[in-house]
Amino acid sequence: MASKLLAFRSMICKPLPMIVKQTSFQHVPYNLKFFSVSPVACVNFFNKLPADKLWKSVTSVSNAGAKKGRGKGAGRIRIRDLNRGQMIGVGKINMLWPGLSAPVIRGRELLKQQRLPDDPERMEKLIKLRDSMTKFRRLKLSPIERGWSGSRMPGRSIGPPDPVGEDEFTGFDTKVLQLRSLLIMKGSLGRTRNYQAMVVTGNGQGLAGFGFGKAKEAPAALRKAKNRAGQKLMHFEIYNGHTIFHDFYTGFGRTKIFVQMKNEGYGLKCHRAIREICQAIGIKDLRAKVEGSTNLQHIVKAFFIGLLQQRSHQQLAEEKKLHLVEYRAENEHYPKVVASPSEVRTKEQISQNETLDFIQYVMNDKVILRKKKFPRFYETMPHYDIYLKKYERYRNHEKIRLNLKVEYGEIKSFLTDKYPEEQTQSDA
Amino acid sequence: MSLFIRKLSQNNVKHVVAKHYESQTLIFSSRKLSIVPSVYDGEKDPAPKFFSKNVQVLLKRLTRPDFAKVFRKRKNTDLPVLRTPIYKFLTNEQLESEIAKANKKADKLLQMPPIVKIQKPITDVLSKDPALVGYDTSKFVFTDITFGVANENRIVVERDPDGTLQSCDHEIRKRLNQVYFPIHGRKIKEPLMFTDTEKFNSLLERQEYEFILDRACIQYEPDEFTYQKVTSITYQHVDINTNYNLLRSTRHFGPMTFYLTWHHNIDNLMLELLQSGTVREAVLLVALRHELQADVTNGDVAQTIVQQILPTPVQLTKPDRLTEEDIQLDNKCVECIEKYIVSNSAMKSQHELALQGFREYYQHLIDLSRGLQKAHGKVSN
Repeated sequence: MASKLLAFRSMICKPLPMIVKQTSFQHVPYNLKFFSVSPVACVNFFNKLPADKLWKSVTSVSNAGAKKGRGKGAGRIRIRDLNRGQMIGVGKINMLWPGLSAPVIRGRELLKQQRLPDDPERMEKLIKLRDSMTKFRRLKLSPIERGWSGSRMPGRSIGPPDPVGEDEFTGFDTKVLQLRSLLIMKGSLGRTRNYQAMVVTGNGQGLAGFGFGKAKEAPAALRKAKNRAGQKLMHFEIYNGHTIFHDFYTGFGRTKIFVQMKNEGYGLKCHRAIREICQAIGIKDLRAKVEGSTNLQHIVKAFFIGLLQQRSHQQLAEEKKLHLVEYRAENEHYPKVVASPSEVRTKEQISQNETLDFIQYVMNDKVILRKKKFPRFYETMPHYDIYLKKYERYRNHEKIRLNLKVEYGEIKSFLTDKYPEEQTQSDA
Repeated sequence: MSLFIRKLSQNNVKHVVAKHYESQTLIFSSRKLSIVPSVYDGEKDPAPKFFSKNVQVLLKRLTRPDFAKVFRKRKNTDLPVLRTPIYKFLTNEQLESEIAKANKKADKLLQMPPIVKIQKPITDVLSKDPALVGYDTSKFVFTDITFGVANENRIVVERDPDGTLQSCDHEIRKRLNQVYFPIHGRKIKEPLMFTDTEKFNSLLERQEYEFILDRACIQYEPDEFTYQKVTSITYQHVDINTNYNLLRSTRHFGPMTFYLTWHHNIDNLMLELLQSGTVREAVLLVALRHELQADVTNGDVAQTIVQQILPTPVQLTKPDRLTEEDIQLDNKCVECIEKYIVSNSAMKSQHELALQGFREYYQHLIDLSRGLQKAHGKVSN
């Protein structure tokens, strides 16, 4: 386009005195009838090469540079389509070309070439359009599809594993736990990039598994990991359909996890990876504290091991040869026998130093460190004392207001009826 | 003795005192039914009967306590959120003692609200002092707030502007007791659900019987007219709609049965018992009627059978296997009920039909359990 424009200008410039002469002589309006048609040699850098080659010369990065990661990210130069937003027949000079940029006949009138007033904003618009192509756009996700962080893969759902033969994974959903790139050395290629993915898949009804996948590309790694996880399903019993059977301690490497069973409605208060695993299995209420190393793969492995090592209530009762009794505060601590052994030991048969506390027994005598709670930073300051003294007399006002509204439908006192005129003033 | 003087404006006291005992003929009408409340205001006093050991035992047994329901999760607990359950390893002896504790707790939870005669207004003039006439335009109320005195024995007296010193009536006594010694959950002003007929009826229609009865227990004294009116309407609503199961295993089933028996209205309950196949409880009900009204022809027989029924465990579900002793006992019960239907029932044909249905079902059950006995090689004559 640029080259065309240049040519056009040279054509206009050269025969201009001739045109001027002609017009003065023949009194014809401005037209291009008498233009010279002799070729003009316009060879320069722009029209010697096609656009894609020109662009490549600007954007390309050497092989060594690409390996170092050049030509990527924020400062990267991008190819722009300079033809975008332009039309044939519309240019810098705003001309009306019947049959090209306008119809030949409008109504009964035969349109003629003519110069229209210039559009000063045209170039600005074009530049703006070209700029919009160069900006780096981040992938936007809906809040439902989003994972743990932005548009990154960890925490995102990637659907059920692919069916094996005729067996379909109905009701399954897979969550990405980890997706990272690894660099490996190869004899022929040198350092190459590999992707490793860790996912967990489950049907939310006790069946779940996790798997790893490695590939040259991230999607392939995810697919491999997903299908591997589908092949390694494990079944977990869920107590009362919402939690685990008992508290437990579990570890893998330097990772230690203390897991506690909780009441209904407690929710999942734990590491985000453990939460995804629980959701895949169908556990709804649980608390877990991770101590030591927070290596994600170790956390996942440790948690699965811990779940698999759980003992059912019946097993616990048999091990101890004692009744296992459950007390719930909402049932006025009614002793509900959840498991009874085939034979029960008597008091004499229990040795003195035996662990009888349930939690201590299931945690294998491990104790969770309970950190001392320090007072909030403001509680030790003098202004907090002043605040407490000042607001002591208002402490029941909320309740009283509510009660008055229930009883009288408005906030009133014994003086309200005595001085009605005051009330109207205060309302106004 | 420390005395607290409380000056009430005259109008206020009048307002409080006025509306006592006027609404005896009040009729609660809802869209479908209009229930006339009947209270314990006759010559006979129900209290000695209600508190007698025989009646208490019968009423408790008729409640059919199911521990799963007695220790259910309640809506109005102090727990804002659920708590993590606690687990314990127990030996046999420890478990027994825990169960014994739970039984005691169940007894407490199932303690029945007392049934007593309606209270009489207090008109006890202590002195008349003409010198005090016109001393003040207001009434003075004196309350003894000594620690450790029961609410009902507390001295609350009033000095009228005409110089009369007299004991206060129940309404004022209750209000002042609540002011100085508040009972948790009781309001000085009556809750709207009891005063507004529409709200009360909507509660009845939603079958929130337990909520009504529990709240009435807190808000009123058992000898108050309003308490007896509210409970009477609720009991009748339960009876008309045969919603007995909603009150079973709660502390209100006993008083309801007592109420229905006292007012000669047990036919619906009897029909429900026969239809659900619990003849033993039907016999208990006959015995209760004999105890309260003494108008059952074979009441003595029923009372002897009751002595055999009481040691047996409560039948929460229909039995699927029968022993010979069970069969004997149940046959006796059926005979007793037969006689009762002939002589005392007001719904003879329906009761007959229900009993016939039970007999057929029972015969089937007997055949099944005897057949099983035979198949297991334990042939009995």
